[in-house]
Amino acid sequence: MRYYKWSQQGEGRKIGKLGNYCLYEKTITEGKCEETQKPFTPQTYGSFRFIYGPSAGGLLESIKFVITTNGEKILGIEAEVYKNRTIKISGLPIDDAILKVERINAPFSASHTIAFLLSIEDALELELDYQTLLKRIAEIELERIRNHLFVIARLAETASLNVPTFHLLHLVEEVNRLIGKSCGHRYFFGVNSLNEVRCDFGNLLKIIDITKEFKQIFDGLVESRIFIDRLQENGKIKDENSVGPSARAAGFDYDARKDFKVLPYDDLGFKTITTHESDSFGRFLVRGLEILESSKMLVALYDMIKNNNTNYEKTKESYKKVGEGLVRVESPSGDLAYYVNLDNGIVKSVSLLTPSQVNLSLFLKSVTNTIFTDFQFNWESYGIWVSELGVKLE
Amino acid sequence: MKNWWFIRGLRKGIMTEKYPKELPEWSTEIQGQGNANCPTNAIKDEKWIKEKCIFCRRCYPNYKPNLNPRIYTVKKTQPLFKKSFYLYPIDSGSCGGCNMELKLLSSPEYDMTRFGIFFTNTPRHADALIIMGVLTEKMKEVLRKAYDAMPEPKVIILLGACAISGGIIGEGIPLEAAIEIAGCPPNPFTILEALTRVKEK
Repeated sequence: MRYYKWSQQGEGRKIGKLGNYCLYEKTITEGKCEETQKPFTPQTYGSFRFIYGPSAGGLLESIKFVITTNGEKILGIEAEVYKNRTIKISGLPIDDAILKVERINAPFSASHTIAFLLSIEDALELELDYQTLLKRIAEIELERIRNHLFVIARLAETASLNVPTFHLLHLVEEVNRLIGKSCGHRYFFGVNSLNEVRCDFGNLLKIIDITKEFKQIFDGLVESRIFIDRLQENGKIKDENSVGPSARAAGFDYDARKDFKVLPYDDLGFKTITTHESDSFGRFLVRGLEILESSKMLVALYDMIKNNNTNYEKTKESYKKVGEGLVRVESPSGDLAYYVNLDNGIVKSVSLLTPSQVNLSLFLKSVTNTIFTDFQFNWESYGIWVSELGVKLE
Repeated sequence: MKNWWFIRGLRKGIMTEKYPKELPEWSTEIQGQGNANCPTNAIKDEKWIKEKCIFCRRCYPNYKPNLNPRIYTVKKTQPLFKKSFYLYPIDSGSCGGCNMELKLLSSPEYDMTRFGIFFTNTPRHADALIIMGVLTEKMKEVLRKAYDAMPEPKVIILLGACAISGGIIGEGIPLEAAIEIAGCPPNPFTILEALTRVKEK
């Protein structure tokens, strides 16, 4: 492992549980990994349980919430994932494993595949091609823009603001088309392999028009009391075990793009966005400002990306090695890590840490003592994907 | 002025498209001949089986997409749904891709409401159960309950390779569907056109 070291003690901030291990900013430890404490649910006179999900109109995916309430206030909450998928990756050659990794969570497919490939490349001790790394950044930043646009569209929809909702969905579609045109697939399937990205980013500057249009909608939403009244002070939480936009909204300067140097983000003059709101509004603000920041990065990348070839054949020769690799990337919702063990080009074992598992704990903690009408805004502000939450890799 | 959403909407104008201006090639029909290294056996005797294809590009360059997005099969129609057609989406074990593409039917480009197609929040008001993802253990009961709660006449629509054949992840949905919409995930235009076909005579 070139980027991580095994240790008895954690070093740097704690990221979360990675299989049977605990992942920190700079080290990985064996044994206990304390996660955000589940909130206590008091049983008061007249309180009752209300079930929301697993399949319901307001939920995009299948998850069941058991809410304890006294009528309006949420006294306690539990969540149960319903679509649990077991995906077998161990025992597969690298190329076959990639097909399954792509399908863990399509909206974050680039982040998943790139983190997985980087961990394989770490295990194989491959020399990484700079152009490939730049193209991987372009993929992740396009994915971030699409995800943040979608989360903000969901928030606007929850507030019944139909014009911005549909306008934002139009922008999501525009980003999907830009990805589709560049890579042949709207969710980056079949695009990534070892030391190679099969995309042509010649149309990347279209992102300027998309973000210009977004900026107008964003300014309108920030000034809309109807909208911000639903988000401010809703789901307030400041927890140092948080990741991604949830952490940055609470003032924590956590960002794998900055503190994990596997991808050359430093060459792009990138800035981490933070706010001190700690609530759904803060998470919305961070996402909105990150769209603009990612757009600037993509414009810088346009001049840097060249369509030169990588030493792909040479790479194939070095497939057959034994080793372990661990890499973390900043997915749209926060730190995403893969730890793999390789044996002669076959994936021997794989462990995964997703931002959704960290964010779900935070959401459950932050929703206690809010009211029902606040629930959906708080839930959407975390941008949790149940598909990566319910996946078990074998 | 900034919050006059209505005026802003008018200013933007109509964005709805009869046919998409841009299609990603790897969500369209596949054609070719020769050997194919297909992980899901979607190419057999040089014939492409759309329901199994996960568009992984392993068959390239012998097989290539031809930009025909009409990769769905209509097995049954229900003219009673001509004026309004209410869909209840259910995620039995998807990767989230089909969910996103289905949601984008609401975007101005596709605007499914112009065809009288709507989402409903309850299976009690649904005409069609639209199922995405592989069959997972806990969702079996949820699927059955949702189907039982729907009034007659009702149809099942399987969305994406996972629901139809299990794709590369697991097991498909063992229910007889009126429409099977291939793709991994299917393009919103493919989904929309397939849905409009259910309402025809």
